Amino acid sequence: MSTRHILLGLLAGGPSHGYDLKRRHDDRFPEARPLAYGQVYTTLQRLVRDGLAEVDGTESDGGPERTRYRSTEAGTRELDRWAGQIAPPAPFVTNEIFAKVVVSILAGGDPDAYLRAQRAAHMARMRELTAVKTAHGADLATVLSADYALNHLDADLRWMNTTAARLTTLTAEVDAA
Amino acid sequence: MTRDLRTSGVLVTDLRMAWLLTRGSDRREWWRVGLTALGAALATGFALAAVSLASLQGQYAIPVGAGLLDEPGTRAGVIVSLLLLLVPVLGFLGQCARIGAVHRDRRLAGLRLAGASSARVRRISALETGLACLLGSALATVVSVVVLLGQWQSPTALTWAGIAVIGLGVPVLGASAGALALRRVVASPLGWVRRVRSRSRRTSGLLSAGGVLLVAALAPVAVAVTSSGSPRGSRSPFEGGPLIVAGLLVVVGAAAVGLVGGTAGLMGRVLARRARTAATLIAAERLREDPWAAARTHAAVLLVTAVGTGFVGVRQALNAELDQTRYLAADRSFYTAGLDLTAAAILVALAITLGGLAVGTVESLATRRRGLAAQAAAGVPREVLGRALLLETALPLAPALLLGGAGGMAIGVWYARLTMNGSPGTPYAALLVPLGVYAACLLAAATSLPLLNRSVRPAELRYT
Amino acid sequence: MNTTGENPVPLLAARDLVKAYGRSEALRGASVGLDAGEILAVTGTSGSGKSTLLHCLAGIVRPDAGSVSYGGARLDELPEKRLSELRRTEFGVVFQFGQLIPELTAVDNVALPLLLAGVSRADAHTRAGEWLERFGVRGQAGLRPGEMSGGQAQRTALARALITRPKVVFADEPTGALDSLSTEQVMTALVHTARESGTAVLLITHDAQVAAYADREVRMADGAVAPVGVTA
Repeated sequence: MSTRHILLGLLAGGPSHGYDLKRRHDDRFPEARPLAYGQVYTTLQRLVRDGLAEVDGTESDGGPERTRYRSTEAGTRELDRWAGQIAPPAPFVTNEIFAKVVVSILAGGDPDAYLRAQRAAHMARMRELTAVKTAHGADLATVLSADYALNHLDADLRWMNTTAARLTTLTAEVDAA
Repeated sequence: MTRDLRTSGVLVTDLRMAWLLTRGSDRREWWRVGLTALGAALATGFALAAVSLASLQGQYAIPVGAGLLDEPGTRAGVIVSLLLLLVPVLGFLGQCARIGAVHRDRRLAGLRLAGASSARVRRISALETGLACLLGSALATVVSVVVLLGQWQSPTALTWAGIAVIGLGVPVLGASAGALALRRVVASPLGWVRRVRSRSRRTSGLLSAGGVLLVAALAPVAVAVTSSGSPRGSRSPFEGGPLIVAGLLVVVGAAAVGLVGGTAGLMGRVLARRARTAATLIAAERLREDPWAAARTHAAVLLVTAVGTGFVGVRQALNAELDQTRYLAADRSFYTAGLDLTAAAILVALAITLGGLAVGTVESLATRRRGLAAQAAAGVPREVLGRALLLETALPLAPALLLGGAGGMAIGVWYARLTMNGSPGTPYAALLVPLGVYAACLLAAATSLPLLNRSVRPAELRYT
Repeated sequence: MNTTGENPVPLLAARDLVKAYGRSEALRGASVGLDAGEILAVTGTSGSGKSTLLHCLAGIVRPDAGSVSYGGARLDELPEKRLSELRRTEFGVVFQFGQLIPELTAVDNVALPLLLAGVSRADAHTRAGEWLERFGVRGQAGLRPGEMSGGQAQRTALARALITRPKVVFADEPTGALDSLSTEQVMTALVHTARESGTAVLLITHDAQVAAYADREVRMADGAVAPVGVTA
């Protein structure tokens, strides 16, 4: 996930300062990992360095001094390019669960028990996310972001179910190699 | 390969396909085959009897029938009665065709989707029905011929020709009816696979109407044949009577199907709006949805009621007349035998009609098994489902019987006025006929209630 | 809300149920408890006995062995008439399809349980209309099941199951034939209503995303129940 581009996108609506950007990010992308303020600050500085954003001015209505940023023309172009770019579909298969199953077989552990526990954890998380999206007054952004995670967890679960059903064959294969 | 060989090869394949499909299907299909064969046997039997009698010309001494068959005039009446018996048989066959119809349509639609041409699907379906009819007609023909030879040493060539035409004609008619009823499946196989409801079932109604018209056309021919050759002077004064009555009944019968269907639909719409109980509501909505489902049997019920009510009136008047008349042209038993035979014919017609009614009710239950099981699972009491089922029969029958009873009563009163030269007595006893028929119909419909109890078993819910 | 299922007296409980259909044993000692107001998902592969378990718990079939208790009384020993009444008044059922009467309009279908309870047609219609409104199918009130989309039909079925304010709703693959958006609408409607009215739900599904609407999940395999995640 590119924090630079998300900040550029938030700046596209008009000049804004770091704290405001963080708040808007967390609102706009519920259930995502919240942005740390420090990360917002360093990312903005890099955007300025690369000429994609510039300082719009400073203000301090009584409080601490805040720097306002705005997007440059190069920033707008970069944002357009990024937004239209296709996200590479699973370029590398990095599957921690599968790795654990294989390692567990190699080390003579109990992959079946691991898969059951992992399945329970996945289900618990899915129930949490479903509760979030069915809560009264949940907005569409919340529902959609929860759905995204739910679909991925569901895919994991289905994969775990088929894997659990074929563990014997897998064990024989791994042991033979 | 010659064209003939190829055609016969295709036919053999179709035959094998029809046989495989029938053999692989469930018990219900065998019920359909069995009942269709029974209906075909009845139709063949009545038609053969009528044809054999029609082939006679002039006076004979026939040991059966108390002399009614001896003379062309009365023989014509018997022939017409026999042909009229075909009407309830047609109704019965119509109901039999409905057994497993949904399954069969889906199966044939599957064949169509698998690449069978529409002509082939039509042929297979025609063979399925035709073979069942052939079975019935063959049995009936054999039995009839044996009985005939027992009574009559040397039947004429005309008789044999008539027997052959009927014996082969019934299966051919059955097969073409089977092919015709399939029009929609052949046209749009996907629609039936997706279980889209058809909006009208008029095709089978048309078939029944066609059958009735065929009977109507046969009657004058048969009567004309049997009457030709009798000396002009000896013609019975009643000769035109049976023909007029038959013609009237046919017109009434054709109207009856449309009338019963129409009133059922109207009744469903009106009652659905006003229903207060669940059972009435369900029954009314089912009538509104498919008023034609039972129209054929109900039309037969209407006819039987009209004839039965009229007959009781005529019988009363005739008996009174016989009591008054000092001099009789023939032995009194000649007249009473005629009355008794007519009564027997009406009872046979009633029995066939009730059979058709029972078959129709059972079939309506069988096709809805899964839905009924779901209703029972949801806590709809069986009594409510049973009451809805009976109401479905009882509601549309009420106006049909009222009409039939009124018509029959009119005939009875009219006849009484015509023959009695004193004070005509109104045949009130005839009023019992519609009531009795109504009760019998409800009993026939009630025979399906045990099946309802079996249908609502949750095992039906298991296969989703 | 109790989410452990360890309540000493659950609202509905099955103990060691055995049920065979012919030679195939659908249940071989299944036990499960459902607390008041709890939403419990029963998952498992097809043929694992999920539906039979629901049928036994809802009093639709009697188990060959074992017991079903409801509110402290033996459900499997009640006479059929009383069971039918119970299913009509205190239970609601939703199946994958087929529970709506095809000839009745949506509003009549929903009003049916009230009509059976002796409520007048006008009152029943008014209340049925309210429930259709709640599930967003008010506009389809005059349509028959065959004229509705799958999701609309299932929401109508839910309205019919819930209109008597039952204590338990039994849902057997209620979204089995629906796309994901309709599934979400049906499940949200079910969960919201159940939570508001404190209705317990026994939800049978093979879909993890549907099971996630429940408070708790039990998994069936070979006719018996195993709690999820417990190491054998």
